Amino acid sequence: MSDLPGKVAATTPTQTPLLDVRDLEVRYSGVPAVKGVSFHVDRGETVGLIGPNGAGKSSTVLALAGAVRASSGSATLDGVELTGHSPEEVVRLGLSLVPEGRNMFDGLTVTENLRLGAVARRSEVPLTAAIAEVVELFPILGEFRDRPAGLLSGGQQQQLAIARTLLAAPRMLILDEPSLGLSPTAVDVVFDALGRIRDAGTSVLVVEQRAEFTIAFCDRTHVLHDGRLTLALTPGAAHDADLLTKAYFGS
Amino acid sequence: MSELKTPATGLTVGGRDLGRRRGRSGSSARLATMWTLIGPALLVYLGTVVASQIGGPVAVQGAYALVSLVAAVGLQIFTGTSGVLSFGHIAFTAVGAWAYGLLTIDPTLKKALLPDLFSFLADVHAPWPVALAVATTVGGFLAFAVAPFLMRLNGLQAGIATFGLLMVVGQVLTYWSSIGPRSGQAMVGVPADLPLERLVLVAIGVIIVSWVYQHARTARLLRATREDLTAAPGSGINVTIHRVIAFTISGAVCGLGGGLWAATNRVVQSSHFGVGMTFTIIAILVLGGTRSLWGAVLGTLVWSALDSLLVYLQGGVTLGDYVVSIPEGARPIILGATLIVALMVRPDGLTGGRELTWPVQRWRRRG
Amino acid sequence: MHFGQSLIDALSLGALYALVALGIGLVFGVMRLANFAHGEIITGAAYALIFTWHLGPVVSVFVSLLVGVVLAILMELLVFRRLRTTTPATLLIASFGLSFLLQRVYEALFGTNVRTAPVASGLAGTVTVLGLRLQILSLVTIALTAVLLLAVHYFLTRTNLGLQVRAASTDFRTARLLGVRADRVIMLTFGISGGLAAVVAFVMTVQTGAVGPTFGVPLTVLALVGAVIGGIDRVIGSLVGGFLMGFASSFFSSWLPEGIVRFRDAFVFLLVILVLLVKPAGLLAGSGTVERT
Repeated sequence: MSDLPGKVAATTPTQTPLLDVRDLEVRYSGVPAVKGVSFHVDRGETVGLIGPNGAGKSSTVLALAGAVRASSGSATLDGVELTGHSPEEVVRLGLSLVPEGRNMFDGLTVTENLRLGAVARRSEVPLTAAIAEVVELFPILGEFRDRPAGLLSGGQQQQLAIARTLLAAPRMLILDEPSLGLSPTAVDVVFDALGRIRDAGTSVLVVEQRAEFTIAFCDRTHVLHDGRLTLALTPGAAHDADLLTKAYFGS
Repeated sequence: MSELKTPATGLTVGGRDLGRRRGRSGSSARLATMWTLIGPALLVYLGTVVASQIGGPVAVQGAYALVSLVAAVGLQIFTGTSGVLSFGHIAFTAVGAWAYGLLTIDPTLKKALLPDLFSFLADVHAPWPVALAVATTVGGFLAFAVAPFLMRLNGLQAGIATFGLLMVVGQVLTYWSSIGPRSGQAMVGVPADLPLERLVLVAIGVIIVSWVYQHARTARLLRATREDLTAAPGSGINVTIHRVIAFTISGAVCGLGGGLWAATNRVVQSSHFGVGMTFTIIAILVLGGTRSLWGAVLGTLVWSALDSLLVYLQGGVTLGDYVVSIPEGARPIILGATLIVALMVRPDGLTGGRELTWPVQRWRRRG
Repeated sequence: MHFGQSLIDALSLGALYALVALGIGLVFGVMRLANFAHGEIITGAAYALIFTWHLGPVVSVFVSLLVGVVLAILMELLVFRRLRTTTPATLLIASFGLSFLLQRVYEALFGTNVRTAPVASGLAGTVTVLGLRLQILSLVTIALTAVLLLAVHYFLTRTNLGLQVRAASTDFRTARLLGVRADRVIMLTFGISGGLAAVVAFVMTVQTGAVGPTFGVPLTVLALVGAVIGGIDRVIGSLVGGFLMGFASSFFSSWLPEGIVRFRDAFVFLLVILVLLVKPAGLLAGSGTVERT
């Protein structure tokens, strides 16, 4: 697993968090969707972001990835400001987003999708070796390497979406609702792989609707409600129904 | 942008301000609504009076501006209400001009000039009001006839198909000598029946028609579909029918514009009704703001003023010791660049797609 | 006229229109822009041929290609880049305005009358093959088109940049999230479309020997329309649509009865409106068009 991103970062410990988000605000034609959100992700940490529909989860991560503009606030990756950069620059700075809905290039083959993931590759490791590595992580992709992505099942597409993003060798990997629309077995496969990516040292931010599951999976889980963070939960709270209700509906 | 400062005016539907209507007494709301008609009409009237007082070339340019205004208002009725692009409206203007020319040119002259005409067209003769009515009808009828085909398309496809209509009509008018001059020739001798004082009345009449249409139920329903086509079927609105209505009225107004054009230019040729004229009325709407009647009026005023200024500069202007002039050919280049810059700087036009607001209330608000 | 002859003519005109439509379709893929002003790139490149032909064919063709590529890239840099976030309708109006503007610029620079030069006049002759008298230019056009299609195909499927262009055409936002540089890909695509326009200009200039301010307009209008009826959101759709347009025009010209043949374009456009009614998104439309952001 020499190439799996994050390992390098994990071996150089520093005091500051890897991703530091402060007072982030996003507005759509004046209407606020994210109202001043602050949180951080440490090196090698896995953080969850949960909350009801329309709470601003996707807007938050899209702003981090540069796909929508943050109207104010800051987000730094290892001290480098992310806001104000275009998505293609943010990838080169080391933050990659797997957007909601998988977004396959239907007509392109699995291999072509993977090659696209390496467009902004930040690692010296040869691409063929890196592809071999992600194929080890998601064996199904090796089997279907010449198949158009549009013909894969939902779970397979999600695996491809994660795999191609890994090929950029990000330090910070963000996934927006990776379990959306997947069968329970497919969800297991995806999160099993996420677990191994995490174990290899990559920092991960997972946005999810499935609260219990996410809280149990992540080191720390924030609840976003109506554009604001309300609570931070640790895995122990996964089965605390009271706390969850409070988190979702406000206190 | 000044509208955004006051919370009550935040919500607008089709350029009309819900907050304002609810928040005020009935009479002042009615006044504000009437002002969206009276304001533009007044401006057009005053502008014409000024142009006519100056006289000379300015009066001539004023006449052409009124013709452009009618065509622009015609296009605005459709594009502004439905949000669908059309490159084809000059086709309706062309048939209107054709109809007007054929009806008003003296039959003896007509037979000499246009030897291939169908005999009923060669003999027919009508006074200008009848000719204008026919021009309007012909434009509206052509629009109505093609509408069921075109009105199911959106966006790029609509743009291309309407452009196709312009090409087809242009080619038919160019080559079919049984309904007009032979290829490359012109209809001349259209009588000068429409001086400025008549033109301005017709233009104001068109503004009234547009205003009445914008306040009709069919226009409100169509505007509701403008933003979100996918929502329309669920709401029970039959988009196609309301588009056909808008397209027909809009085609009729453009047909009328063609009649006015024939009377003003007095020479009618198919090459007049092509990409150049299409460019002009689209530019006028983009400049003023496609979504409001006020946009069409203000756009025409600004565009015509700019055009006149450029004509003036072409002739050379003495300012103190200097003679300022622009070279021949610079005028259309500047006009073309104006459209592109307008799209970049103010894609919603000078009016932002809003109707004219009643100035007195603004003052009260500030006080 | 002999059927075989008119078939070759139709194939060659279809090929030419396909090249124009390909240039338009590539740009549409990454920009959602149906570029009316593509015709003015053709015109510019054609003027370049006319004015530099006396310097020898190699220099002249090179200059013409350069003019095509540079004009296309300038359009992107000065106009379309600033309009990227607007709707396809606004882009269409802008390109319509730009087309008008450039025609007036050509008028101001080179006059309204045509400029002439005997560009590659050797190609204007005919050869007899299997008893058919064929225009050399028709054969050259078909061969040129075949080579260029293969080249573009190779670029799109075999190279990294081509892959990025295809990805950007499918879903620009996702491509950018993976690190595809929007500005670079769009500029590259404009450059390719400009180069294709210059090739078209060459063929057209050899054929007519005369270039005026609206030289590229009729071709572009028909090819653009062809691209739309073929399904402009896929390169293959534009290509096939453009080809059909040229093929149909040529056939109508050869076989419509005398007296009606001048209404050729009217027939073509009626056909177009009918096609759009049956298949509004185009004959070979993709499953869905993802708007770029």
